[in-house]
Amino acid sequence: MVESKHSWKAWIYLSPAILLLLVFTVWPIINTVRMSLLEGYSSMGAAGGISYSFGIGNFKQVLEYKDFLKCLGNTMLLCVLTVPISTLLALLIAVCLNAIKPLQRLLQTIFFLPYVTNSIAIGMVFAAMFNMVGSAFGGENEIIITAGIINNVIEFFGGTRVNWINVGSSYIANIVVMVIYIVWNALPFKILILLGGLQSINKQYYDAAKVDGTRRIRVFGRITVPLLSPMLAYVVITGFIGGFKEYSSIVGIFGDDMGPTGDPGRLNTVVGFIYDALGNHQGRASAAALILFGIIFVVTLINLYVSKKKTHY
Amino acid sequence: MSVSELTMQERDMRKVTVKQRVVKIAVQVLLYLFLITMAVIVIFPFYWMLISSVKSLAEYQRAVPTLFPKEILLSNYVEAFKQANLGRLFLNTLYVGVVSTLLSLVITVLSAFAFARLEFKGKNALFAALLATMMIPGELFTITNYVTVYSLKWMNTFTVLIVPFLVSVFYIYLLRQNFMQIPNELYLAAKVDGTSDIKYLWKVMIPLSLPTLISITILKMMGAWNSYVWPRLVANDEAHRLITNGLRNAFTESTGDVNIPVQMAAVAIVSFPLFLVFIFLRKYIMKGVSRSGIKG
Amino acid sequence: MKKIIVAVILLLALCLNTLALASCKKDAKDVDFVVPEEGFDTSTPVTITFYHTMGQNLRDVLDRYIVEFNKIYPNITINHQQVGGYDDVRDQIKTEIAVGGQPNIAYCYPDHVALYNLAKAAISMDNLIASEMTVTRQDGTTETLGLTQTQIDDFIKGYYEEGKQFGDGKMYTLPLSKSTEVLYYNKTFFDANGITPPTTWDEMEQVCKRIKEIDPDSIPLGYDSESNWFINLCEQLNSPYTSATGDHFLFDNETNRNFVAKFREWYQKGYVTTQEISGGYTSALFVKASTEAGNSYMSIGSSAGATHQRPEKSGGSYPFEVGITTVPQMDAANPKVISQGPSLCIFNKSNPQEVLASWLFVKYLTTCVEFQAEFSMASGYVPVIKSVNNNEIYKTQFLDKADGGDNIAALSIKVGLQQEAAYYTSPAFNGSSAARDQVGLLMQKCLTAQTDDVAGMIKKAFEDAVAECKYQAG
Repeated sequence: MVESKHSWKAWIYLSPAILLLLVFTVWPIINTVRMSLLEGYSSMGAAGGISYSFGIGNFKQVLEYKDFLKCLGNTMLLCVLTVPISTLLALLIAVCLNAIKPLQRLLQTIFFLPYVTNSIAIGMVFAAMFNMVGSAFGGENEIIITAGIINNVIEFFGGTRVNWINVGSSYIANIVVMVIYIVWNALPFKILILLGGLQSINKQYYDAAKVDGTRRIRVFGRITVPLLSPMLAYVVITGFIGGFKEYSSIVGIFGDDMGPTGDPGRLNTVVGFIYDALGNHQGRASAAALILFGIIFVVTLINLYVSKKKTHY
Repeated sequence: MSVSELTMQERDMRKVTVKQRVVKIAVQVLLYLFLITMAVIVIFPFYWMLISSVKSLAEYQRAVPTLFPKEILLSNYVEAFKQANLGRLFLNTLYVGVVSTLLSLVITVLSAFAFARLEFKGKNALFAALLATMMIPGELFTITNYVTVYSLKWMNTFTVLIVPFLVSVFYIYLLRQNFMQIPNELYLAAKVDGTSDIKYLWKVMIPLSLPTLISITILKMMGAWNSYVWPRLVANDEAHRLITNGLRNAFTESTGDVNIPVQMAAVAIVSFPLFLVFIFLRKYIMKGVSRSGIKG
Repeated sequence: MKKIIVAVILLLALCLNTLALASCKKDAKDVDFVVPEEGFDTSTPVTITFYHTMGQNLRDVLDRYIVEFNKIYPNITINHQQVGGYDDVRDQIKTEIAVGGQPNIAYCYPDHVALYNLAKAAISMDNLIASEMTVTRQDGTTETLGLTQTQIDDFIKGYYEEGKQFGDGKMYTLPLSKSTEVLYYNKTFFDANGITPPTTWDEMEQVCKRIKEIDPDSIPLGYDSESNWFINLCEQLNSPYTSATGDHFLFDNETNRNFVAKFREWYQKGYVTTQEISGGYTSALFVKASTEAGNSYMSIGSSAGATHQRPEKSGGSYPFEVGITTVPQMDAANPKVISQGPSLCIFNKSNPQEVLASWLFVKYLTTCVEFQAEFSMASGYVPVIKSVNNNEIYKTQFLDKADGGDNIAALSIKVGLQQEAAYYTSPAFNGSSAARDQVGLLMQKCLTAQTDDVAGMIKKAFEDAVAECKYQAG
């Protein structure tokens, strides 16, 4: 390789990036650790002249707070549901797209459209589609003004309408809506990566399989998936990292309350918890963020370990 | 082997090919059916946004929603444009987008080059450290960064919208993967010829990784277009306000509720340029982003 | 070479570190502003910033009066900007206080000031109000720096007192423009069916029952703010809600649980809905009249939102006339209505001249009759000084024309002015906004939860709400 006496050159090339990262990324991380270790730290109080002592009180408060575990549970549930579903669906769509000729480009374009949207704005569109307008749902005095387009479609096909996101809706219905929206949001990126992977697989493998008369399913399982495994690992890992940071999609559907009317915070996530605490309790927010970082770190390590065993480079 | 046996085999073969053809067509039909159904599901929210944006408020609030608007009210768009002062917002956003993209490209190319082609002590450790920062929720940087830019007296300037986000570890990572696919022999040959690094970068590496650079450009522009939390905090004056922020401001009055069709119209106007860019440059995005897969 | 570069980078990081730390450090401050002996300097230019939530039409009014103000104090430059909604103003200032970059003047709600007080950032105005120092204006006339007794008496008392509810008896805010809650009712429908608008909650129950008989598909009453609903009832029943000192969160008690249980029955009978439960301002249900199911005939909402409570014209006339009256009471003889709308607070600055300039401007906006009149007409808010009612234009062009149609804003202001004596505000402290949020959520939950053990559910909801308040404030 290149002689290492020129390594100062590398540092020069890297200097703008490193300088900016030091200022706007590394220092905030240090400061976060500092704030998390100052018991009960709040920047308003600090501005008012209060001094704080060192300790792990923030971590204790966060972990003992009942809603934090709920937030963590929601986050994990959404991760565990949306990552496999979106990955499988994306794989299916990518494989199908790869197998057709006419309309391929048009369909590709359509599948990429959600990629260019603001998740809060389109979340409002989704919310409007699932929203029921009326009063006293499920009670004897129920009045339905409009059941929402999704329920209209369900009723059109003979189903019964579901209270998706309104007052009195069930946790399961809420989760279903969130899964649909998050998967919808996550598909474009995954299709993009997987289709790119598929198209770069050497045609010779398939030709060889054809000559051998191998069945499609076997081809898929024995050739496509192994050769695609680096991309699959990539979308799963980024999917988990993104999933643990889930926040704005829930704001998009349920608003700042992070839950249906009557039960706010029901769908709150860890990042939502951090945001809530960020206002007046920067110490707690910092502690929660570090806990989240730890979780993501461990999950990513596990993912990498598993994918190293299963991935064929 | 008798003649009759041969013909029987032939007949079998033919049967198989007919059967295969039927299966093949059936599979194709199923493929299209599946893909088109999925496409309709994916595109429906956009359709819903568009038709809502041309409905009158009364029609929007109807009991049974109309799948196609009874009358098309383009006045919602005029109203949205006026109410949100979109012209100014477009210009501001364009300026921030272009400048930050250019600077960001320079920084990203230099860093990716160093990581992909140069050897230095602690390279892997440094790269791993950079990747690790991607895992930290960005929300947490906000408080500290706010203090920093304030101390630097950058409030309500374009600088504050551009500089803090110039470095993206993700883009460096993307481009590094791309650079690493270019055979090292090319670089060594260039070294022997006495070509400088910069020249080599400009003549060989950049042209070869153009799709990735274009996709980074588009992603960066999109970032400027969609950014909301940070601009609202640090540059919320008329002269520097960006589009997403301006959009929200325009529809927040101290009292009264929002005319949703007008709001949808504004959202549609703001989304439109992105769609346009995306449709025309789709090829580059595909090539660039798909190459970032864990390869090499 | 490499070592040098690393060292430089480390050094840079260190510098930055100390820089950022230094800017965080502040000495403990005093909220009491001391008027400097030399008084206000009318010759040196001074620039002040003002954060608000005004839309374009109100900004136009403000701009006109800044021109007027500059005629008497040409050395004061006023930069003002709309920072989104109320919460945006609060959040922005909160972040700015941490680095000492807060504006001079801001729109505020009491809860916001309680928050700013944690950092001792807002000044108490007592010394300014009491000051008898003289200031000479550009045109040679003079004014007292403080407020004269006549000026103080001119303020609507409930509004003025709002500035002192922070538990330490000091005055932190001056009211700018106010609103309250009023009951909007469908006058056409009420008249046709011989119903009189309810004045008490008992009458309200009867009216709801009657309307439900006439139009079973309707929800007779919409109440916009769940939080206000709860707080109003506490005030009207004289039952504890919160306290600025000592144990803050007092609302978990028998009386309060009982009225919540009663309103739950109302909701279950289909008598009432709220903004959160119905998924939008209840004015949307009110203006629909009887054209669709789920409409309402009464709506309790902000007096400043009157134009939204008016149905759209069809065929050149309104489908029904709107009546406006005081919200239902426990005791109609001793009414209580909530006071809302922006006040102004002034922030501490190292340069006392900035604070004096801010004070002069705040005083100008709150005591200038013409500004108060014009601002009220443009915004639909109630003016905070009584003498506005004697303003000829305001009286003849605006108030006298009040009706339940074109001039509905004037009608609601008129009702707002009539209940002058009934205004109350809740104490503000660190955690008061949490209490406000929590009781609103509590109402939503208790009204709608599907359960067999109603009493148990309500008990638990109250306990959870108090616990959450304590966590937020702790």
